Formats: sequence, structure tokens, C-alpha cells
Amino acid sequence: MTKFSFCLLFAVALAAAAPPKINIPIEKYKLDNGLRVILSEDNTLPVVAVYVVYDVGSRAEEKGRTGFAHLFEHMMFEGSANVKKGEHMRFVQSNGGNLNGSTHPDYTNYFESLPSNKLAVGLWLESDRMRSLAITAENLANQKEAVKQERRLSFDNQPYATAIVDKWPEMVFKNWQSSHSLIGSFEDLNSATIEDVSKFFKTYYAPNNAVLTVVGDIKIADAKKLIQTYFGDIPSQPQPKHPDLTEPASVSPSSDTYKDPLAKVPGVVIGYPGPERGSDDYYALVVLDALLTGGDSSRLQLNLVKGKKSVIQYQGDLGWPFAAADDYRDPGQYATFFIYNPSFQANQIVDQYQDEIAKIQKEGISDTEIRRAVTLLLTAKLNELQTTLGRARLLAGFELLDGKPQIINSLLDRYAAVTPAQVQAVAKKYLSPDRRTTLAIQPEPAAKANPPATQGGF
Amino acid sequence: MQRFLLGFLCAVTLFAAAPVDRSQPPATPPIPDVKLPNREEFMLPNGLTVVLARDSRFPLLSVRLAFLAGSKYDPHDLPGLSDSVAALLNQGTTTRSARQIAEQAADLGGQISAGSRHDDLTVAGSCLSTNASQFLALLADVIQHASFPDEEVELQKQNRLQLLRGERAEANYLGQEALNEALFGSHPYAHIGPTEQSIAQLNKKSLETFRDTYLVPNNAFLILVGQMPSEAAMKTLLTAEFGKWQKKGLPVYNPPAFPANRKQLLLVDRPGSVQANIFSAHLAPNRTSPDYFPLALGNTVLGAGLDSRLFNDIREKRGYAYDAHSVYNPLRETAYTSAVTQVRNDVVEPAMQALNDDLAAMSSTDVTAREMTQSKNAYAGSFILRLERQSGLADQLVTVKTMNLPANYLEMFTTHIRSVEPDQVRATGKFWSPDDATVVVVGDASKIKKSIEKYGAVEIVKPPK
Repeated sequence: MTKFSFCLLFAVALAAAAPPKINIPIEKYKLDNGLRVILSEDNTLPVVAVYVVYDVGSRAEEKGRTGFAHLFEHMMFEGSANVKKGEHMRFVQSNGGNLNGSTHPDYTNYFESLPSNKLAVGLWLESDRMRSLAITAENLANQKEAVKQERRLSFDNQPYATAIVDKWPEMVFKNWQSSHSLIGSFEDLNSATIEDVSKFFKTYYAPNNAVLTVVGDIKIADAKKLIQTYFGDIPSQPQPKHPDLTEPASVSPSSDTYKDPLAKVPGVVIGYPGPERGSDDYYALVVLDALLTGGDSSRLQLNLVKGKKSVIQYQGDLGWPFAAADDYRDPGQYATFFIYNPSFQANQIVDQYQDEIAKIQKEGISDTEIRRAVTLLLTAKLNELQTTLGRARLLAGFELLDGKPQIINSLLDRYAAVTPAQVQAVAKKYLSPDRRTTLAIQPEPAAKANPPATQGGF
Repeated sequence: MQRFLLGFLCAVTLFAAAPVDRSQPPATPPIPDVKLPNREEFMLPNGLTVVLARDSRFPLLSVRLAFLAGSKYDPHDLPGLSDSVAALLNQGTTTRSARQIAEQAADLGGQISAGSRHDDLTVAGSCLSTNASQFLALLADVIQHASFPDEEVELQKQNRLQLLRGERAEANYLGQEALNEALFGSHPYAHIGPTEQSIAQLNKKSLETFRDTYLVPNNAFLILVGQMPSEAAMKTLLTAEFGKWQKKGLPVYNPPAFPANRKQLLLVDRPGSVQANIFSAHLAPNRTSPDYFPLALGNTVLGAGLDSRLFNDIREKRGYAYDAHSVYNPLRETAYTSAVTQVRNDVVEPAMQALNDDLAAMSSTDVTAREMTQSKNAYAGSFILRLERQSGLADQLVTVKTMNLPANYLEMFTTHIRSVEPDQVRATGKFWSPDDATVVVVGDASKIKKSIEKYGAVEIVKPPK
């Protein structure tokens, strides 16, 4: 017992000084057709993750085609030359695997987790739809309905969601590429044509516009052979341009109110334009966010939920709501969404939050507090790294957005290197009232809510 | 690099000579065996059962402390008490404020939280494994000396009320609330949360009484998964932290019998709903029954996942809904099945018909050989995948203990699944049958009542205020 305690203390002292060392193996190469491949071997459990990410998201959409990237994502599950409609899911789930796809502002991902004996099945499935997606009028009509129903279910019939998905981006971005709705309008979804789908597929779903990541119980040489077999002869296409995401240089504050017939409790979103991705400021803001919003000991929890008893719940992140801190391209924004006690007003919540920022701007933060925030980030990342899919997501994202999958192994060190002075500096530089956007979401009594705000627009 | 290039060229030539057949899924080896981490299990003299599972992949430790103290033990006039005890456990002890608990846990790379379900109240936490001893000391303080400070109780009441209002703004919550009442009758499984009244009545004394009655070591299972020292060292550590915790007699729990399944059709009126949330449910046998594995496979075939019958029919073929799925939710004393979909108002009538047809087919026909193989492989594979996270294993060990299952349950799981025959699945089809289903529809009664009248006598329910 004595010896054990001693060892533990020793280890704690070490842990505080240096974060746990992460050493995820990375084998990176490129096929002749431009497909970037990242392999990471880990044989501790017979599990493998196959993760494909395409360099296209809602920000690449054209005017009149809002929601198209997401509609297209649905089409990717409708079958291909050798995989009939519905079979993709069957082949994965019937082996106990998980799969999904999701559309983000800057990329669209498709993945499966499988028992490792099924690696070839995962590669066959992903390569078949990259090579030969079944683009038919019937599939398109069907998926338009599915997306519209998803919109009704997940947005139009949910409190806060319409304000967040349609209204918030319009407020924080001036450039249409970033400000339009990711889920899209019914009108735009209805007007999407087969030609749109074919063109989008050819342009953006080419191997040279994608990253394939395979993590888990593999043998590198065997995996390379399989990947060459299934993906090697998919033809490349001219490299598409990234959308121009430039925002006006000047930043001005703004605020607005959204009346929400479904909300019973008021909410408010507060956000600011964010720092350059991967910069020292960016990591400092990630730490600042952990300090403000992370866990039961965060400042917002202790001072607003507990102290002022004004806020009930909150969530926030760089990139919120559709991206997380590590998976968007610049320009980004840092937003926090509050649900608060109705005996307060939205502007009081905004002021209380801004006061919390002001304290950090004025007084800085202690060593204890920064260590706590960094420890929180470390454990959250370690938890994420436990799964092959978690590792695949990070590796693919860092390759796609930064060209450097090895960032995965330096992340913990980057968090740990942030100083209290840097946190104070980013609070001053980025989170000031003159850069702030606020959106109050107020419950609208049902009787007055006719027609619903989602149809009336804004 | 040289070697890599050679290998690469070699591979290209190989496959150029024998082009791959893409028309079929690749042949693959059989599913690999996986060995669960060994568990060490022992009981402290005060009756606390301890299970240790070593997993050294990451420097993390996951902890669960599960009590048979779920919402079914709530006093009749205080629904939601167990839930509030769980929410307030980490909000102060006789020697630590809520803030100190939160900060100390965070400093150790962790968090302590608790949640209450029908049967159990489980405290969950994790930390950097190097901090295990301090973290367990903190956990021991929280569960033995929670003090429910007045200020925290008031805050919980205030916030829980707002959350309840938020929950009741959601059609799904309203449906689940009505469904449980209709299914379970006078049994305490009937309530899924507090009421505005019970929140108003919550006080320190009721919280303390619940804690003193149910949060006792002989009613608890402590489960640790992750990096940790030897069993002997763990015993010493756990005895130091949990050994003084007093054993206590537990009150007799004598719940009323469950009602029989019977045809009911409830419409929860939610004016302004743009869609109808439909639930079709039955009481069913739980994990201790021989029907469990056939029911679990039947549920997979019917509505678990994106290749299930409900998904393929109601979403993919008919385009009525974004989501259509089924749930088989085993509890300690019983279980329930539920088929769930949310459809737009103008297709409620045909969607109910399609749902009923899919449900009736579960007892009128055998599941196909393909469905059988797929659902079995699905179980075996997902079992492996759930082991990727420490929390996945920890939660499964909680289930084994709180559901009173044999010690080798997890080891035998795949074997049991593999031995199920199609006629056994069909025999459990009655637990999906529309003939005696409890159906709850949440939607705008003025718009959809007519559409559902075809399926039975509609009882309109006003959502609780």
C-alpha cells in the first residue's frame, strides 16, 4: 500500500509536468489516381475502421442548391454498380458493424467500424460507390423526401433547431458560402436535378478529392494490396477548387431575436469570429473554451449555472454547431448556446457571459485552472482515441484540412504548451463585445405562432 | 521506400493478372474470437461487491458504482426522487462543496456523475489511471457523505422544472410518458420522470431518506475497468476507502403485478405538430427468460438498424418517415418492446397500416435464413465493437450485475445468440402483434384523429401540464 501510494504520487507529479505520450503509428501514401491513404495498425482487438472523407461540404454549394451536399450524402447510400440499394447498410450491420455518413461545412465523411475479418468488405463497399454510384431519378426523388422528413423531424419540429441551423450562420458569416443553411430549403431541395447529382459526383467524389483512412487490426502490406485492388483503377478528375470563403475584413457586432413556437424555455447563442486554425491562438482558445465550458468545474457551470442561477444548460465549441474545434476550415467562429431561466432576459445572460470573459481579460487565470482545463482536454482526447473510428476521424481530418495526419500525435503537447498569458491574450483579442454576435431565441406562445416561423422565414 | 515500391509493383501485377470480381462481396475469414478481459470479483465484509477488469491500452480508469435504487423505488407521491438524488450526489458532502468535488475530479482527469434508470441508480466516473487512489477516495466521500446542501437542492428544483418543461415540449417525451403509463399501470415502471408537483415537493429530508435507505454497500456493485495495480493492492485501497461504510437492511420491495397486454389506442394531443409520433408497444419477457435471445434477434430483424424491416419498408420503400425502428428494452422485472416511427400528418393512416402489417408478420411468418444469419453476425460483431471503449465493458458489467445475470453471461452471449432457431423467433412474434398492442400516437388531434380511428377506439390524452 505504501509503495503503491508512492508510485501514484510520483506518476501524478509526472503527469502534471508532461501529458501522456501518444504514438499512433501513421503510414501515409498516395495512389496513382491521387487518393490519399492513411493506415494505422493496432492489433489489440479484432476491429477495423474504414473512413473515407471527401473534400466537399455545404460551403461548396451553389446558390439555389442549399442543402445539396447533404442530399448528396443520402444518395451515397442508395447503391452502386455492384452494391444494390440498401445493401451497403446490410453488409455492415449484418456483421455487427456501425456505419454512417455526415455532412459538415468543409467535408463529408463516410465510415464503417467492422470486425477486422471484414476489412475487404468495407473497402469493397467504399470503392464501389466512389467508382459507380447509382444516380437515378427514383433514388433522387426518394432521398429528397427522406431529407425533407429529416428536416421536419430534426429541425422544424424541434425547439431551437431552426434558429440554429438557418438563422445563426446568416448572422455570423457575411459570405454566402458560409452563411446559408446546411440542411437547405425545401424549395432548393425540390429543384435539385439528376444532372446536378451527376456533376457533383464527378467533380467532388473523385479519388483525388478524397482521403481514405484505415485504422485497427490490419497488416500494412495486406491492407495496401487490398486498397490498390479496390481503389487503384478509379479514374481521377480535374482537381476542384475550394470555395472562396473570404469574409469582409471588418468585424462588427450584431444581435437579433428569433421567435420559436416550439421552445418552452428561452435560449441565446453568443459567438465571435475565431482564430486561424492550428495557430497558437487557436490552441489557446481551445483551452479557454475548456476552462469556460468543460465539465462541472468550468467557469460557466460554477458562476452562471450555480452562482447566478441564470443559465440552465449550455454547449459551445469552435465551429459550433456543425463542426467541432478540429474539423473546419477557416474562417471559423466560436459560439456558445445557452438555455436559461425565464426569470432572466437574454441581454442579462449576454452581459453575465461577457463579464466572465472580462474577468479573464482583466485578471488572467491561475496555473491551477489552466492545468485543470488542459487535463480535461487530455482525457477527452484519450477517450476519443480509444476507438479505431475516433483515431480514423482525427487522422483523416488532419490530412484533409492540414495535410498533416501526424498532428494527432502532437495534439496533447499543443494543449499542454498553452500558457495562462496566452489564454488571457486570446480572450482579449477575440472575445470582445465589438466582435460579438448574439441571437436570442424566445418562446412564442402557440396561439400567436401562425404560421410557424419555419415557413414564414425571417 | 525501395522495399515498399517493390511490394507495390508486385501487387499491381498480381491483380492485373487476376482481376478482382467486384460483383460479389469479398470472401472473408470467419469472425475472430475475442477474449474478454479477466475479471476479479470479491466482496468486502460490508457486502459491497467489487469487480475488477484490467485493460491497459490507455492510461485511463473507468468506474461504475451501481445501486438497485432506480426510479421504481421512488415514493408514490415523489416521482423523480431517485433521479434527483443522482443529480445531487456530487453537489456537496459533509467536507466538500460541489465546487471542490468538481474541481478535484477535474484535476484528476475525471468527472463524477450519476444517473437513475428504472432499476438502478449508477454513479459513473473516469480518471487518468495514475490518479486512481485519489479518485476512489473522492467517489467514496460522494456516495457515503452526500449532504444535499439547501442551495443546491433549490437550484436542482428550479432547473429540473425548466428541463421538464423542455422535455414536455418534445413529442417523443410526451409519447414515452404516455406509453409507460399505459403499459405498466400501477407498477412503478409507469413513470419515467418527475412531475411539476413532485419537483415542488422535493426537499432535503426526502433525499436523505432515499440515500440512507438505498445507497448502502450491500445494495451496490463497484466496477472498475482500466489500468490498475494488483488485486491485493486494490483490495487494500478499496477497504481503506469503502470498508467503513455501514451495511444496512433493505426495505421489502413488493410491487404490484404487471397488467396483461391489451389493445389500447391513445392519442396525445399536441396542437401544431407537423408530424405524428407513433409507438406500438407490448410487455415482454426479460433477460432471464429463454425467450430473451429469440426476442433480441427478432427485434434486430424487425427494427434495429438501417437494414431492418421497418426501416426498409416505412422509410426506404414508402418514404413515410425519416426514422422507423424498434426497441426491445429489458428491465429487471420485465421488458417491453416498442416499434417507433414519426410520419408526416398526411400519411398517418397508411403508415399505421404498414407498421401493423410489419408487426403482424413477426408471428405469421418465419424470419428468413438470411435475416437469421445477418442478425446473429450482427450480434457477434457488435459485441466485439463495444469492447473498444472501457466504458463499453464497464456498462456491460453493470448490466450483468443489476439485471441479476449469471457471471459468465458475457462469455456465453454469442453462443446463446448463435443457437436461436427461426421458429423460436416466430414464437416471440406475439410480443409485437397489433392485436393486443398498446399504441400511442402524439400529434395534432384536430389533424390526425380521423386517420387513426380506423385502427381502434381512440382515447384522447391531454399532455400533463
